[in-house]
Amino acid sequence: MGYLLLAPEMLLTVLGIVVLALGLILPQRGKKVTGAVAMIGTLGILVVVFWQFGYEAEFFQGVYGIDAYSHFFRVLFLSAALIIFAMAGNYLHLFSERQSEWYSLMLFATLGMIIMASSGDLITLYVGMELMTISFYILSAYLLDDGRSAEAGLKYLILGALSSAVMLFGISLIYASSGSTVFAVVYQTLQAQVVTQPVLIAGIILLIAGFAFKIALVPFHMWAPDIYQGAPTPVTAYLAVGSKAAAFAALLRILVTALPAAHYNWTMLLAILAAVTIITGNLIALAQRNVKRLLAYSSIAQAGYILVGLAASNVYGFKGVLFYAMLYVFSNIGAFAVATLVETQSGSSDFDAFSGLAKRAPMLAAIMTICMLSLAGIPPMAGFAGKFYLFSGAIQSGYLWLAFIGLIMSMVSVYYYLNVSRLMYIGKSSEQSVPVPAMARVALLVCLVGTLIIGIYPQPLSQFAEIAIQVLY
Amino acid sequence: MSGMIINDLVFVAVAGFTLLSALGMVLSRNIVHSALALILTFLGVAALFFNLGAGFLGLVQILVYAGAISVLIIFAIMLVMHSEPARTNLFNTSLGTHLAGAYIAALLTLSLSLAIWFSELPQIKGKTVEDAVGMLAQLFMGNYVIAFEAAAVLLLVSVVGAIILARGAKQS
Amino acid sequence: MSEHATIGVFLILTLVFPIAAMIAAWLFRAKPEPSEEKLLPYECGVDTQGPSQMRFKINYFIYALVFLAFDVETIFLYPWAAKFQSLGLFAFVEMIIFIAILVVGLWYAWKEGALKWY
Repeated sequence: MGYLLLAPEMLLTVLGIVVLALGLILPQRGKKVTGAVAMIGTLGILVVVFWQFGYEAEFFQGVYGIDAYSHFFRVLFLSAALIIFAMAGNYLHLFSERQSEWYSLMLFATLGMIIMASSGDLITLYVGMELMTISFYILSAYLLDDGRSAEAGLKYLILGALSSAVMLFGISLIYASSGSTVFAVVYQTLQAQVVTQPVLIAGIILLIAGFAFKIALVPFHMWAPDIYQGAPTPVTAYLAVGSKAAAFAALLRILVTALPAAHYNWTMLLAILAAVTIITGNLIALAQRNVKRLLAYSSIAQAGYILVGLAASNVYGFKGVLFYAMLYVFSNIGAFAVATLVETQSGSSDFDAFSGLAKRAPMLAAIMTICMLSLAGIPPMAGFAGKFYLFSGAIQSGYLWLAFIGLIMSMVSVYYYLNVSRLMYIGKSSEQSVPVPAMARVALLVCLVGTLIIGIYPQPLSQFAEIAIQVLY
Repeated sequence: MSGMIINDLVFVAVAGFTLLSALGMVLSRNIVHSALALILTFLGVAALFFNLGAGFLGLVQILVYAGAISVLIIFAIMLVMHSEPARTNLFNTSLGTHLAGAYIAALLTLSLSLAIWFSELPQIKGKTVEDAVGMLAQLFMGNYVIAFEAAAVLLLVSVVGAIILARGAKQS
Repeated sequence: MSEHATIGVFLILTLVFPIAAMIAAWLFRAKPEPSEEKLLPYECGVDTQGPSQMRFKINYFIYALVFLAFDVETIFLYPWAAKFQSLGLFAFVEMIIFIAILVVGLWYAWKEGALKWY
């Protein structure tokens, strides 16, 4: 296949540019076409990715690599983008004339994520990450008339730039002690002469801190709630699912292929971060009165669960990371899709707007409940299977206490997730129905089916994740 | 040997100048003065690059930071100019905040400096590149071509985003 | 080191020379009483009126933004241009793609009226 394996990246770039150009060429009314082009194009690229399954190649002396792991995350990002394009639909009217740019920026953010997941080199990884983050700075400020959205964009910009600086410093220290930025070379150098330089340890800590910001782990989570609440809801959904999965993908690849845990005991650091994140995220979520903010804190907690698998640092835990990241796409975007539709209709995402939703739109209420139960980890929803892999990985590695904390806090989380359901089913209802466009209906159905099928029959995804993980060893 | 000493002296002078300008940027009450101090800081960093033998980076620093970014910053300041320039860069004056900030900064600086001080760094010690620009070109066009093209997309995204956000600001 | 030292010496000279010239002028010039006209800043054209730190139009800002992006592009062009002979066709194609992507940005800026002055 050779360079053809890079076709998804190239096609995504071309698609983003074509969508942008169409927005410039077409007259005002024709701009709706750009959304269709973006969706069909993304679907086409997804097909290309499926077609490339089983092929592997390393490019530019290990700087970039396409393997089963890249395929897994390409599928994840592209399907997340596709579902969000489908569910965004009517919400985009808020962007008036800037819809084609929105699609284009979302596509470029996806490109950045794909580069992050496939790069085998710290510099390429960094450029991919900046591409993703800079797209998100703009996307979170996209509701220009809304002060809260502008605030979200500005906050994300300032804190994001700070975290990038921290991460770059970490990269420079790792380069200083290993003499290379290519993962494989770093690994070999550190393998050949076990370096216990303080500089290297500082570098690893700073690198993890930079990623922890992108993933919104406690204590680097301060930005998340304000930005999740202020940003346009479809963007929040992508920020919560895509940028987190991309950061996890890159972090996992670095930790396994460049910095072997045998020499540098970063697992304890990650375990502590995971425990603090799970506890803080879930406890603060209990007090929220706004669905977007609730989902923000819940997604902080979810990132903590995924980190448990990383801290476990065995095949089981890593498989759990990939598995959970994928099911998180369906469950979390499903919840955000319902929030988007309700917000489009009522103009608010406070709890009151969801009151009595079951009477107005029974399908939406049911999907929201199922997605939230999945996030809480109740069988037979997908979240249960994911947490099962993550926690059993942690137990295998001897982090019994961590699995225990995760379990207790999952039970706590059931309370606030079901609180929303209670409100939807027995809260007072207004008479207004919630319109659901056809495309959003498809997106919701995909989320629902994904959440249920992965929960009932987890084998295929679990195998897919296992194949993806094997290539890293 | 005397060359080393001169080099060190130059480094101390340039680093001191850079730090003082950075301090001036943070402490000035007039945001225009802050911006000017920031330009001096950029120039100081450029001088540090030259001192380290990274001429191309020094050039980039002057061209992009001292040139374009400082102009951008000054235009941005002028765009939202306050009627009283002398009170445009006020900051929290509570002593506790200052002390906490100073403590964290000192702790971070100290620990990182100690980490660097006590490390050997055999992999890169004494390595210099003869033809830095040529090597950069080869890396851009060779192994790092994906990052290179991604940088083009990144610039495209920033142009588009900047125009969207700036036009939005104009309308309201 | 030596070439940088040359630059350093040159810098010091450029600092010393004007100061020396001004000191010399101060030594030899006549020293009458200062008058109001004499204390005005020397400027060609009209005297400034009002505060000089005032609000600018947004055009300046958008121009600077677009300029910055293309300034960074120049940085990427420079090493390529310096090594053009030895890089070959593949690098040329890569650069064309790079510029093409950025031309789309220029097109966008043009169409959206960011380059218009009003």
